Order: sequence, then C-alpha cells, then structure tokens
Amino acid sequence: MSDLKTLYSDIIRHHNESPFHFEKIEHAPVVLRANNPVCGDRFDLFLTADQKRISALHFHGFGCAISKASASVLVKSLEGRSLHEANNICNEFIHFIDNKPLHAPQELTDDFKAFSGVHNFPERRDCAILPWSAMKTYLESKLGRNN
Amino acid sequence: MALPLHTIKDQFPIFKNRPELVYLDSAATSHKPDSVILALNDFSEKENASVHRGLYDLSTDATRRFENVRKKVSDLLGVSNPSSIAFTKGTTESINLIAHGLIRKKLKLGDTIAVTAMEHHANFIPWQQLCHQRGALLNILPVTKNGELNLSGIDSMLGPRTRLLCLTHISNVLGTINPIEEIISIAHRKKIPVLIDAAQSTGHYPMMVDSWDADFVVFSAHKMFGPFGTGVLYAKQEFAPYIEPLNFGGGAIRNVTTEHTEFLDYPYKLEPGTPHVAGVIGLGAAIDFIQQLDLAETSLFTRNLTQKFKARLHELGGARILGQPSNFGSIVSFQMENIHPHDVASFLAQANIAVRAGHHCAQPLLESMGVPATVRVSFSIYNTEQDIDKTIDALAALKRFWSR
Repeated sequence: MSDLKTLYSDIIRHHNESPFHFEKIEHAPVVLRANNPVCGDRFDLFLTADQKRISALHFHGFGCAISKASASVLVKSLEGRSLHEANNICNEFIHFIDNKPLHAPQELTDDFKAFSGVHNFPERRDCAILPWSAMKTYLESKLGRNN
Repeated sequence: MALPLHTIKDQFPIFKNRPELVYLDSAATSHKPDSVILALNDFSEKENASVHRGLYDLSTDATRRFENVRKKVSDLLGVSNPSSIAFTKGTTESINLIAHGLIRKKLKLGDTIAVTAMEHHANFIPWQQLCHQRGALLNILPVTKNGELNLSGIDSMLGPRTRLLCLTHISNVLGTINPIEEIISIAHRKKIPVLIDAAQSTGHYPMMVDSWDADFVVFSAHKMFGPFGTGVLYAKQEFAPYIEPLNFGGGAIRNVTTEHTEFLDYPYKLEPGTPHVAGVIGLGAAIDFIQQLDLAETSLFTRNLTQKFKARLHELGGARILGQPSNFGSIVSFQMENIHPHDVASFLAQANIAVRAGHHCAQPLLESMGVPATVRVSFSIYNTEQDIDKTIDALAALKRFWSR
C-alpha cells in the first residue's frame, strides 16, 4: 500500500483530477498524438509555437492517472518555454523516470519528483513518459530543421 | 470418473510456488498442471529427438508420440479424421495460413470477407490486410450493446461474393458464447465456409466440430493448460488439398529437383522445418489432463464463478460491466467509475491479483461499444470463491484509496 501511495502521490492525484489546460483546441496549428498501442491510452497535445517558443499548449484524451497527470505536468512545464528549453526539460523528465538524477529547473522539481513512485513500478514507465516522448520527437525534428 | 474440481488447484505447481497468487488472467494464458510440465521435461530428458527423420528408436518413438497427438486433438475437437489436424505455432499462425495459403488466391477485386466486431486482432487484422491487398471488402457483423452478435443483419451481409466468414466461438473480452452452430448453418446455406477462432473455448467447453460442420477451427495450446508456441489448424478434408504452405523447407516434401518441388499432403506440407516436438507432446499431455475433466461440469463451474463475480461487482457499486450476454463463459470486462483500468490493475497487482487491463487486442470491439479500455477478469478451473472475495475486497480498498 505504501508503494501505491508513492505511485499515486498527491500531486499526481491532483493533476489527474484537475488536469492543467485539459481541453480540445479546434484548429490548433500542431496536434501531437501520444498513443500507447499496448493499452489504448491516447492523448492529443495541441500546440502553438513559432520558430523559437511554445506560446500555447493544451491536451485532451484518455489514459490512466499516471499518463494523464504526466501530460498535465508536461503542459504546465512547457508552455511559454523556448523550443530548446522544452527539449531539455523533456530529456530531464525521461531521464528522471529512468532513475537518473534530476536536473530540472527549480520550479519543476516538485512536480517531477511526484513521479518517483514509478521507479517501483517499471511496468508503468511507459505511462509516465508517453506524452513526453511524443513532445520530444516533435521538438527534436523541429530543432533539427532549424539548425 | 472426472477429477474433482475442489482439489484441482493442487495439480498446478504455480500456486505452490506462489501461494498468495490470485490468477484471473487465464484468457491470456492458463497455468500448466504437473502432468504437462512433467511431459515437457520428460521428453527433453529421456526421449529428445526430431520426428519423421531418424531410423533409431528415439526418433521413431518421438514420431509415434507426435503423430498420436493428432488423434488426441481430433478426439478433443470431436473430429473423426486425425489427418485434418495441422500443428502450428498458435492461433495467429493458423489463421494466417488460411488467409494467405487458401483464401488469398481465390479472393478477387470486389469479393468480401465477413468477420464480426468482437474478434480478437488475430482474427481481424489478417482479414483486413488481405482485403486491402486484394481490393476486397471486409464486412463486419456488429455487436449489440448487450455484447452479443447482432444476427438480424447476417443474412444481408453474407452474399454471393462472400468467400469466408470468420468468427470467434467465445469473445475474449465479453465472454459471450456465440451460437456458432446456427451461424455456420446460415453461412453454409449460402455456400460460405466458416472459420471458428476457438482460442477461448478449446479445452474448456465441449467441442463438436464435425457436428457443427465448421470448416476451419484454430486454437493455441497455452490457453488450455499446454505449452507456449504450439497451436492447431483444423481444416475440413475438402479444403485440405488447396491450402498452400507459407513457409518452405525440409520435412514437408515428397521430392525435390533443381526445377521443382513436390510437397507432401496436408497436414505435413504445412509443417516444414523441425517442429516444436516437445510443444506438441505437451499439448498431448494437456489434452490427457482435460480428458480427465468433465467439460460440462468445468464450464458450468467457471460460469458460476463469473456470475458470482458479476453479482459481487454489482453489490460493490461503482463498477460498470461491459455487455450482458445471455450465454457467457468465464470472462468479464468492467470499468470502475473514475478510475482508469490500468490504475485498477496496478492496485490489484499490489494485492497479488493478476488481471488484464487495456483493449485486450480487440480495439474494434471496444470502439464499437464506446469504451477505450477495460479491466478483464477471467476464471479457470483452479480459481476459487476466495479469489473472488479477495478481488472484491481489493476493489473496495481501491475505492476507499481513490476517494481519500
């Protein structure tokens, strides 16, 4: 039970129940699909970005508490960031889930650390990183093209 | 005299090694009794040899035992001819053999294949892809909100250009037992052959393939107390000569020249390369085990467990069961209010209760019922009422945990 309390930390529960920017955005310039074919979890990230910065970010879809909270934290963490910053933060989050030391910006550490319970549930790793992987793929391709 | 069910759990060593385990995922794979594990080990320890090749005792014995399993399978299926049984890697390979080894060559532009909306991906994707490749149409028989096949449209769906009807005997998500005899007879009136996916029924329900007049029946050993990597294709004799191998190699041939190969007859032409001999011997042991059971009794036993579990879920509240089929087997899918199936499964896993969460390889079904994922519980002969008690207790704890 204590493992479950760590997995479903208060911050994760809060993000699951009151997700940040949880809405469908019609005509969003970019829609990223984060899809786990194994379990059917599916989120769309609605993104407005110019060549340098993410100006607006929302998400909508269906998934478990871990993947939904993770998408909510992603949206909260990346909106307003430069593409470079956002990409670094994606990497930091995924590294942290993979048991590497956390080097995220100060203001994000509480939200990120809320996912430390996933370390004891390796089968939930994919839930935690689902939206971050989709975002990372997009950012890397966009940054690669800019260079 | 059938084996008594109240002590049957003792024959499954997994529960001696993991006494705390509540295993409710037998629809994914069943556990193996001592006799099957012993047969697999014994074969490797004492008899290990390939089949149809050696002229020494080990190989002749292995060949005899291997071939004898065809007879055991045909007895289990209620089929008179053991030569109608081909060994494969499993249900998926068996279906692909029919799709690409038989149906493909006669499927023309504008022809149709009929399936149902409750198929496992293994009995859906091969047909969908074959239709794409051949410019044919995939017709899908819908499912009612009760989780039963909607048979009212079947007559109009099956037409003169329908080349095959493929359907599952028992839904791996809803537990619905389909009226296959009735459906086969409707299809046969229109001269349409029928493939039955019996992955969830073989070894658990009495099978009467000859009397149902099914044209093709497929299943896997590992869902019926047998080993992984071994399955069966049954094909009615009239089709057997026309099923072409998809894999080529040694063992399946009569004569090879530099220009030409003459293949053996069905089923041997479909079994090239050295087969999974131990797997087939293990399948034989699983059938020996099953033949000691009274399948009418065991299927009633698992149905009663399912029925009790459904009633307890209802009492618990906050659970929504998917479908209410009137004829159902040992499977039930449900959702807990406001709690995603994965979170339910993780929570139950902490209490040593193994269930499945997700779409269960049946996305078209879940989509047609407007549900992205469910928790699935499936029962087998080694389950007990205590398993239900523990699961309901854990779900009650989950509800408290989630509402704190």
